[in-house]
Amino acid sequence: MAAMAEDQHVLRKMFCEFDVLSCPDGSAMKYRNRSCLRPNKLIIDKACVEAVYRPKVGQPRVADKTKEKMIGNTCSSAILSTLYPRTSVSIILQEMQNSGGLMACAINAAYLALIRSGIAMKFLVAAVTCGITKDDKVILDPDLNKVKDCHTELMFAFDSIDFNIVAVDSSGQYTEEQYQKALSLCKEASNEIFDFYRNLVKKYACCI
Amino acid sequence: MKVKVGDVVVPGDIAEEISRVKSETKCVLGPGLRRFSENVIVCKSGIFRKKNPNTYWVDSHQRKYIPVRGESVVGVVVNKSGDIFKVDIGASELASLAYTSFEGATKKNRPDVKLGDVLYAKLKIASLDMEPELECVDSKGKQSGMGVVADDGFLFTCSINVVRKILSPKCPLLKTLGKEIPHEIAVGMNGKVWLKARSIKETIALANAILATEYITNEETNAMCCRIIEALQEVN
Repeated sequence: MAAMAEDQHVLRKMFCEFDVLSCPDGSAMKYRNRSCLRPNKLIIDKACVEAVYRPKVGQPRVADKTKEKMIGNTCSSAILSTLYPRTSVSIILQEMQNSGGLMACAINAAYLALIRSGIAMKFLVAAVTCGITKDDKVILDPDLNKVKDCHTELMFAFDSIDFNIVAVDSSGQYTEEQYQKALSLCKEASNEIFDFYRNLVKKYACCI
Repeated sequence: MKVKVGDVVVPGDIAEEISRVKSETKCVLGPGLRRFSENVIVCKSGIFRKKNPNTYWVDSHQRKYIPVRGESVVGVVVNKSGDIFKVDIGASELASLAYTSFEGATKKNRPDVKLGDVLYAKLKIASLDMEPELECVDSKGKQSGMGVVADDGFLFTCSINVVRKILSPKCPLLKTLGKEIPHEIAVGMNGKVWLKARSIKETIALANAILATEYITNEETNAMCCRIIEALQEVN
């Protein structure tokens, strides 16, 4: 039981590798993705931020388009787009494996690629998923097996300055109390992701 | 999070030290830093650096080139229309180059520039809101090393950090290799490098050496140079 309680409040281990792709300006494999600046669509006074989400198999569908929109919005909130007039930032995400918390992972991966591309940002964003099980327990970062026990999934994205909410994605039914509990749990866990970002930068910055 | 000089920083960190600089003294904020009300906030991830007296910047990894006026770049001619050449310098837009901005070029005496030629040029105009403009003459109207490079040779792209590193006086790479392997090189601040040595083997070895310096220190670079020179001698 003790082991299980511990399990509930721990994020799964994260891995990331930078520069897996040679052509774009910044790439990160967490779930493989890349970002590049190119003048595709133009807005005269600022950069146009767009995300492209490719599922594991087949063509992107309506659900994937929703994801795209959400990732694009989350990223454009942090990018200092006024510093890059007349350019467009494309964030291309390729799903490689789904073991739960796909949306949070996509947002984190997009940010890792943005970090690597050296684009100017106001803050970083970390996304964390949690689920509410049938017996009303809130569990952090559920994997595919645990998701089956959950009737609700919540995803929160926080900024790195004041830990304010940048994005929320939810499916299922939940009470306000459960929402607050999940929120505080995710907020705590987001610290771990910010540390992960910083350590990655440290690892790759040693020889600049 | 508050950071000090030499720390690893990520966007959103506050550089407290700069706020404490006396208001009468001049303070220069380099790339990766911006003012936000009372504080100076980091907006790129990398290492926070300082140069005396009061110059601060963030050393970060970057592959995309953002044109800066006066920098020397290497580019490829991709289009010729009327009296303007369009040159791909790796920025978000193509740079333009007027045919009169070559040494000794006049309306009658046009420079011989073909599509696909590699150019070494200087940025005359670089602004975020305008198309970058190149020139191949210095202020005295002389060529001074700029213009179309030789037809053969090898052009490759690396990250902008690599270019800064091999051009810094502390880096022994080109000095050491240059003694043993004679070569011609044009290094653009945009991350494009044109290279030509005596043979293809040597050119490839040099290109790989440049790309390998990204993640190694200057001491390791010395050791790597020795290994490459030895290996090339064995092959020959």
